[in-house]
Parts: sequence; structure tokens; C-alpha cells
Amino acid sequence: MKRRRPVSLLAATFVAALASIGCNSRSSSTGAGSGEVTHLAGAPDWCGTKKATLAQLDGFGGNSWRLVTTASGEDEVKKCASVTSYQYANGNGDTQKSISDIQAFAAKGVDAMVVFGDAGQAMLPAIRSAYKAGVVVVPYRVEVGGKAGVDYTQFVGASFVNDGVSWGRWIKSILPRGGNLLFLSGPKGNSQGNDELKGMKTVLDDSYKFLNEAPYDVTNWDPALTQTVLTAEIAKNPKIDVIVSDFGPSLVGALPVFTKSGRSIPAIATSDGNALGCFWKDNQAANPDFKLFTVATGNDNVRLAVDWAVAKATGGKPPESTTFEAPSFEDSVGGKPHSVECEPSLPGDIYLSAQLPKEAQVAAINRK
Amino acid sequence: MVSDATTRQTTRWSSPRFRVPRSFGAIAIATVLVFALGAVVAPSSVSHSAIIGMVPFAAVLAIAGLGQLLVVQQGGIDLSVAGGISLAVVVVTHQPDGDDARLGAAVVMAIGFAIGAGLVNGLLVSRLRLSSIIATLGTNSLLYGAVFAVSGGTPRSTTRLLAGIAGDLSWGIPRSAFFAVAALAVVWVLTKKTVAGRRFEAIGANRAAARAVGLRVHVHHTLAFVWAQLLYCLAGILLAGITNQPTAFQGDSLLLPSVAVVVLAGTSLLGGRGFPVSTVIAAVFLRELQQLVLALGVDTSVQTLVQAIALAVGVALYSIHWSSVRRWLFGRNPSGATYP
Repeated sequence: MKRRRPVSLLAATFVAALASIGCNSRSSSTGAGSGEVTHLAGAPDWCGTKKATLAQLDGFGGNSWRLVTTASGEDEVKKCASVTSYQYANGNGDTQKSISDIQAFAAKGVDAMVVFGDAGQAMLPAIRSAYKAGVVVVPYRVEVGGKAGVDYTQFVGASFVNDGVSWGRWIKSILPRGGNLLFLSGPKGNSQGNDELKGMKTVLDDSYKFLNEAPYDVTNWDPALTQTVLTAEIAKNPKIDVIVSDFGPSLVGALPVFTKSGRSIPAIATSDGNALGCFWKDNQAANPDFKLFTVATGNDNVRLAVDWAVAKATGGKPPESTTFEAPSFEDSVGGKPHSVECEPSLPGDIYLSAQLPKEAQVAAINRK
Repeated sequence: MVSDATTRQTTRWSSPRFRVPRSFGAIAIATVLVFALGAVVAPSSVSHSAIIGMVPFAAVLAIAGLGQLLVVQQGGIDLSVAGGISLAVVVVTHQPDGDDARLGAAVVMAIGFAIGAGLVNGLLVSRLRLSSIIATLGTNSLLYGAVFAVSGGTPRSTTRLLAGIAGDLSWGIPRSAFFAVAALAVVWVLTKKTVAGRRFEAIGANRAAARAVGLRVHVHHTLAFVWAQLLYCLAGILLAGITNQPTAFQGDSLLLPSVAVVVLAGTSLLGGRGFPVSTVIAAVFLRELQQLVLALGVDTSVQTLVQAIALAVGVALYSIHWSSVRRWLFGRNPSGATYP
């Protein structure tokens, strides 16, 4: 027994030392941001005077939408000179790496982070521990569970229900007496598709019949699978009035299936993308039923998250909204807020609905 | 006891000049049955538009399956099919960036990558004696590394020229089908009608015996991987044209089906004799089965299950010694003696 005592003492000392490091690593116990509201002259309201550093963390950064979104986040940060350093990390779709990115930035002493938590609730322990260590943490777009003020500073969601409502209203305007709808979404069980359907159902009554498997046809947002699914639905249903899809650009490869079957492309309610706009311009003359309505794809969701994070870290005034509502973007029928837009000289992978100027988007997707 | 496809495949309809492998009959009947079943329970699955929509994806799967077939004939499995196809997709979309004039150079570049990947696979498996599963898994990661290096993981929209070449119809038939038939003709002639092809099959059936009679085992083995990558490259280029707006991971969904069509076609995973025509028919079978299940409107999980069951039945058909099973079930062998 006596021989063990020095070991126990050593262990106790080690634990105490670790605890003291943990306690001293931050001056405040949980996410910063309390105190009086300040404002840096010439900057937006959310930009306070306290100097801060910010990190943007992506669970997966490997597509053009993410590249434009990342560039949008960086662009938003530049509006506030109080942010002295901006860093970015890409989880590459690997949950382990995404978690260690959060831990690494917390350990480096970054003041605020905005987190695209693709892995959902798996990210919560890492987010919570960064928040408890005093970092302002703003997860956005993908729900990670937990509660604001307990597990993180603020969650900035996207209202997919609102997208569904916008599509529903447009469908009602072009088909007032009801019709046959086909709703395509991503992987089975994804909450985005469920929320969008919920939104549509608040506007559309039973005279609008969904032809797809409930709640939506599964496409995994994969263009090849989208094409296969659409082929089967076209063959099965002689009358499809509107296709609703939450990822418009993935339809571009699939829609020619209609013309190959000797049918007109029907009306489409979806999200925007330059490739889709140009496809509409090229094909609308030959397809009399091809009407197009889009909501913004939501690259600017990150801006609201950055506003929140910077406000809390620099002592600025936080935005009033905690949810990003994608505005309607194109309507080929009413022309409001925009008629269908296409920039043929620019890549199909840019999003004209995003605030980021198109040249900056091209630069963002050409970085690699 | 190890048996290869040459010894295991008995021929049912045989004459000295005309020999049809049993696997051909099985997969052909299964395919006809799928179409017939579709016509009865879900007529939309055999409608003109459904067939026109199905054929391009069957063609891509057939070409990828032919590549996999060559590797399986050498007793291996090629897991780099996903990376090979994805890299071809990314190269022929990202490099031209919508400019038809740059498509040719991009295709040449994609072929260069394919030859490189095939050589790496071949040398690792043939010279360094690594297991093909391990070697091709590593190469797959390298290929995905190249995907990110080339494009940052973001392919572009297909050029109009490529979309026309791969996605349009000629005489009412999707053009991709012609590419699949051409690929089949090349593989069939090379493996069945040339001396090199016969040596290739012999080496796959028994490498030790082939080495003993002086055949160049390493060269044939390596070339199997190179030809396979070239076929994946063709599949990737077509897929880029067919989908118009592809992702950087387009090959992932072809990994399992590419092995499945080889197995359904009756080729032994232990190597040896291959069945290119049956492989192409198996690709049509799998894609039409997918159309049928989609047309029936069943749940997504059931769709996956049906395909898995089809694969299991295919493997069981050729792998299980059915006469032994019969004897075991009835408790007697032909001599009348009972088993303990």
C-alpha cells in the first residue's frame, strides 16, 4: 500500500495541473458575448469594437455550392474590421476530422467559430466543449441538437418549410384547379425534404396529387439516380404537371428524358443554379409547358451565421433573425422578383441568387 | 478443392462448333423474365421511354463490368473502379470547362490517367504480389486524390459536344449503347479469338501451370488492370455526357454493380474463363430490375433488398454444388447409401 502512495500523489498533481490549465485557458466560463453592445463606425450593426478572431468550419467542402458558400462567409467577415483573423477548415466529409477541426481551433484560442455541422448530432459534444471553453460557437443550416446558451451560442437554421411554402404558392398560381406533382429530394429520411413537403402542404390541398413515393422520391441528390428515378416516373405517369426538386442543377441531365419520350418538359419548382437557368433559356421554346420558379439556393445562410458569431465575439448587436429564409429568385411566368437568369459565358456551377458577385464566385470555384 | 470457371461451366447446348455456356442461358432467361414480369405487373417499366432512359446506364454498367471481368478472370477484384470512373468524369468535365474545343485534350488526359492507374495496379498485384483488394483499394484512394487535385472535387457541366455524343439518340437508340457494343466486341475478340486471349484465360485459370509452360504471366496480369482502367475511363466519359451535371463521386455507385454483373454472368471469382456477352446481358438485367422496382413504386429499402437478393441468387446459382445439396436434403446419395 505504501509503495503506491507516490504514484497516487503524482497522478493527483497531474490531474490538478490539467484542471488548472483548463480553467485558465479562458477568462470566461462559457461562450463570450455578454456585456454592453458596441459598434465599429462605418461597419454593420453586428460589428462591435472588440478585436476577435473567427474560424469557419465545413463538414464537407467539396462541391461548387460549398465553395461559393465558403467564399460568401469570408466576404461577410471582411465587412467587420474588428475581426483580425479568418481561418477555414474543411472536414472532407469525415466526421472525425470535423470534430478534431473544432477541437484544434478551440485549442488555438480562436474567439468565434461558425460550424456547418454536416454530421448532425455527432458534432454536438465537440461544439459543446468549445462553447464551454469560452468560444462563441454558431452552428448553422444543419441541426446539431442541443440548446442555444447551453451547448452553443446560437443556431442559425434555414427555413426549408418556407421554401415549400414558396413553391406551393407558385404551383397554386399556375395550376389553380389542382394537378399532378412529383417531388424529388435527397437521401431517404433527410429532414430538408420532410420540411419542404410540410411547407407545400400548408398551401396545397388534396386537389394536388403527389405522384411520388411518400414523402418524396429518393435521389441522394445524385444526377445519375435522379435521371433513373425520373425515367421511371415519366414512364409510369402520363401526366406530370409540376416537378418539385430541392436541388435544381441535378435536374439538368434528367429533363431531356421528357423530350426523348416525345413530351414537353413540365413546370419546375426548385432552387436556382446558372446551369438550370441556361437550360431553361435553351429549351423553353421547344417545350411549351416548361415554366420555371426558383428559390435562392441558400449560399447566404452562412452570412447570417457569421453576423451572429462576429456580433457575439466583438460586442456588436446580434441580428434579429435566427433563421435564414431563402427568398424567391426566378419566376418565368410573373418575372418577379427576377425573370430566369443565365450567364452563358460563366460556369454552370455558380448561383446567381447569391449576394457574392459572380466574378468572385468564379474565382472561388477556380481556386483549385 | 479449387475449381475455375473453365472446369465448372458445363455446356448444355453444345456441338463441336457451337457451344453456349450454361451461365449465358441462365442470365438470358432471367433477363427475359424481368422484362416479361415488368410487362405484366408494371407495364411502364417496359415502355419505350423507360427503355430509352435505362439503356444509357446499362451501357455504362456493361462497360465497367467488362473492365471488372478482365480483372476477375485473373483471380482479382478491382476496387479502383469507383476512382477510375470518377476521375474520368472529373477530367472530361473540369478541363474543357464547357469548351468543346478542349474536350479532345481532356479525353487524352483521362486515358493517360487510366493507363497510369492500370499500370500501378498491375505492378502492385503482379510484381509485388499484393492482394488485388488491398492494391486497388490504395489505388482508388490515389485516384480520388487526383480527383481533388484536378478539380477540388467540383466537376463542371458537360460540354455540349460530349452531351451529344454520349446522351443523344441515333436511329432511335441511345448512342451509349453503340459504345457498349463496341467495347464488348473488342473484349470478346481479344479474349476469345486471339492467341493472346486464350493465354490470358489460361493464366487466369491456373497461374502456376501457365508459368510452367512459359507464358508471360506478369505481362498478361498487368495488362488486365490496364485494359480494365481504359474501360472504366470510357464508362466515366459516357457517364459525364449522360448526366450533364455530374458529381465528383459518380463512380461510387458502380463499384458493387460492376462486380455483380461479372458474378451474375457466371464468371468465377477464382479466375479463368470469362463471359463478356453474359456480362453485358447481366448489366441490362440489373438496370431493368431497377426500373421494374422503381415502376412498382415500392419503398427505397425494398429496392436495395431486391437487388441484393438478385445478386445472392446469382452467386448461389453458380457457386453452390446443387447435386450435393439435393443429396443432403434427401438423405441419400445415388448409390443408395445414407449419410451419417
